[in-house]
Amino acid sequence: MSELTQSSPLALGAQPDTGAALAPTQLELMRELGVKPRPGWTSRLSPGLAAFVTNGKGMAGVVILLILVLTSLCAPLLTDFDPKRRAGKPHVEPGYEHVLGTTRMGKDVFTQLVYGGRVSLAVGFGAGIAAAMIGLAIGISAGYFGGRVDDILSFFVNVVLVLPGLPLIIVIATMVEEASPLVIGLVLALTGWGWAARTIRTQTLSLRTREFVLSAELMGEKKWRIILVEIFPNMLSFVMGGFVLGTIAAILAEAALEFIGLGDPNAVTWGTMLFWAQNNLALQSGAWWEIWPPCIAIMLTGAALVLVNFAVDEITNPQLRASRRIGGIRRFLNRRGRSADVF
Amino acid sequence: MIFLLRRLAFYLAALLVAITLNFFIPRLMPGDPSARIIASFQGRLNESQVQAIRQSYGLTGSLWEQYLTYLGSVARLDFGISTVQFPEPTASLLFYGAGWTLVLVGIAIFFAFIIGSLMGIHAAWHRGSFFDSVFTPINVILNAFTPAIVALLLFYAFSLELKWFPLGRAHDPNLMPGWYPEFILSVLYHATLPVLSIFLVSFGGWHLGMRNVMINLLNEDFVVLARAKGLSDQRVRYRYVARNAILPQITALALSIGFLLGGALVTEQVFNYPGLGKFTFTAIQSRDYSFIQGQLLLLTMSVLVANLVSDIANVILDPRLRR
Repeated sequence: MSELTQSSPLALGAQPDTGAALAPTQLELMRELGVKPRPGWTSRLSPGLAAFVTNGKGMAGVVILLILVLTSLCAPLLTDFDPKRRAGKPHVEPGYEHVLGTTRMGKDVFTQLVYGGRVSLAVGFGAGIAAAMIGLAIGISAGYFGGRVDDILSFFVNVVLVLPGLPLIIVIATMVEEASPLVIGLVLALTGWGWAARTIRTQTLSLRTREFVLSAELMGEKKWRIILVEIFPNMLSFVMGGFVLGTIAAILAEAALEFIGLGDPNAVTWGTMLFWAQNNLALQSGAWWEIWPPCIAIMLTGAALVLVNFAVDEITNPQLRASRRIGGIRRFLNRRGRSADVF
Repeated sequence: MIFLLRRLAFYLAALLVAITLNFFIPRLMPGDPSARIIASFQGRLNESQVQAIRQSYGLTGSLWEQYLTYLGSVARLDFGISTVQFPEPTASLLFYGAGWTLVLVGIAIFFAFIIGSLMGIHAAWHRGSFFDSVFTPINVILNAFTPAIVALLLFYAFSLELKWFPLGRAHDPNLMPGWYPEFILSVLYHATLPVLSIFLVSFGGWHLGMRNVMINLLNEDFVVLARAKGLSDQRVRYRYVARNAILPQITALALSIGFLLGGALVTEQVFNYPGLGKFTFTAIQSRDYSFIQGQLLLLTMSVLVANLVSDIANVILDPRLRR
C-alpha cells in the first residue's frame, strides 16, 4: 500500500506513516498552484474576450488607458483655464492656484496636459486604427488572393517595412510646413501599417487552406463574403495587435516630431508642450514642472499600451500564456521533491 | 546565391521607391526650393542667372529629364546643394554628421543586442520565474518610452544636476581629432549618455523577441532529442535553442536600424551632439530641404545595406538558405 502511495506523484508530500493516501483535493491543489477558479460571468463572454478580461497585465493597461482618456475627455470639468491663454505669472511653482504650475508663457500646465491629451491620444488612436485597417485590407488580400496580387502587395509591405519611418515623416512634415496634428496622424497611418499587414498575411495564408474556408468556397460563396465572414473573425486578435503596436508607434512618433519642431507650435499637445519646455530651457532654469508632466503622460500611455500588447501576445500565441503558469508548476513540483524539468 | 540575388534586387527596387518619393514629394508641394534663393536676391538676378540656379537644383527640363538627372546624382552620392548655405554641397556635412551618429548607434546597438538577447535567453529558460515575470515587462515598458523622454531624464540627472557628464559636443574642443588614446577616451566620455539613452529604449525589444522565439522553440522535437541525448543544459540552451532563435533576431536587427537612427535624431538634439540628428534639426529650422532629403536617402541606403548584411549573415548561419 505504501509502495503505491510513494509512486503516486500527487501523494509524495503526504505523510508516509498515515497509511491511507491523503491525496490533496482539487481545491487544495489549485490553491497551491496559484490557480484561481474562473469567475462565472466570464463564461458568458467569447473565449478570446474572456482570456483578455482575466489577464492581469492586459486589464491593468486598459484601466490606465481609460483613466487617461476620461481625464482628457472631462478636461473642461477639471480646469477653468484656457490651454492657449495666459493663466498667471510665468513659471509659478505647483500649488493651490495652479496644480502643476505654469509655463514660461504663464499658461497653466495642468490645463495644457489634459487638453493636450485629447489631441495626442486622438492622433495616436486614430493613426493606430487606420494603420491596423490598412494592414488588415492589404494583408488579407495578399494572403487570400495569392499569386500576382500577393507578389505586388508583398513588395509594398516589404518596402514600407524597410524604409526608415521617422526620416521619411520628417521629409513629408517639413514640406507641409508646420504640420497640424491631423496631418501628422495621416502620415503616421500611411507609414505604420507594415507589421500588421505582414502578420495578417501570414495568418491568412494558413487559414485559407482550412476546411471551413474550403467548404465555403465549394458552397459557391462570394469571395468578399468568405473574407468578411469566414476569415476576418479569426483575425481580430491580430488586428488588435496591429492596432496596439501602431498606436504606440504613432504616439511616440508624434511626440518626437513635435519635440524637434516639425509640428504646429500653436497646437496644444504633449509633444508641443515638450517642444516649448525644451525651447524655453525649462530644465536649465529649474522649472521641472513644465517638462515632467507631459513626459510622464507619454510614458504612462506607452506603458499601458505595452501591457495590453502583452495580453494580446498571450492570446495569439498560447505557448506564451502557458509559460506564465510554468513558474508556479515548477515550485509546486520542487516542494514535492520531483524533478522540475518541465518543458 | 539565388536567395541573395533576389534580396539584392528587392533592395534596389526599395531604394528606387525611396528615391522616387524623395523626388516627387517636394514637387507636389507648392513652391520649390530654388524660389527661396531667387527671392533672397530681391529681383537683382537676370533671367539667365535664375535659370542657372534652377538648373543647379535640377529643376529645368521636363519632369522625366529631371528624374533621370536626379537618379544620376544620387548614384554619384551627390546629395545636391544646400538651400540655406547656397553654393555649398550637402554631402560633406551629411557625411560628417553620419560619422558621429554611427558611433552612437553602433555602440548602442552592439550592447543592446547582446545584453537584451542574453536576458531574453535567461527569461525564456527560466520562464515564469521571478526574473521573467518582473524584468520582461519592465524592459519592454522601457522600450515604449520615447527616446526624447529618456534622453531628457538622463540629461537632467547626470549633466545638469550631478554635472558628471558634459552638456554637449562629441569630444573635448581642445583636442585635435586623431587616433590617440586621449582623444578616443574623450569621444567615449562624451558619447556615454547618448549611447545609454539609445540603449535603454532598445534592449527591451531584443529581450522580448528572443524570449518569445525561444519559448516557441522549446517544444520542438530537436530540443527534446537534445535533452534526451543527455546534453548539458548549457549546450542545449546556447547551441541548440538560442542558435536557432537568433536567426529572426538578426533580420529584426537590420529592420530596427532605421527606427534606431530615427531615435538617434532626437537623442542628439537633447544632448547637443553633432550627429546627423543635430544637423537635421538645424536644417528643419532653416528649411534646408536638400539636407533633409539627403538624410532620408543616406539613412535609407544604410538600412538597405544593413539588411543585405543580415541576409548574408542568415545565409552563413542557416544552411537551409544555401540551397
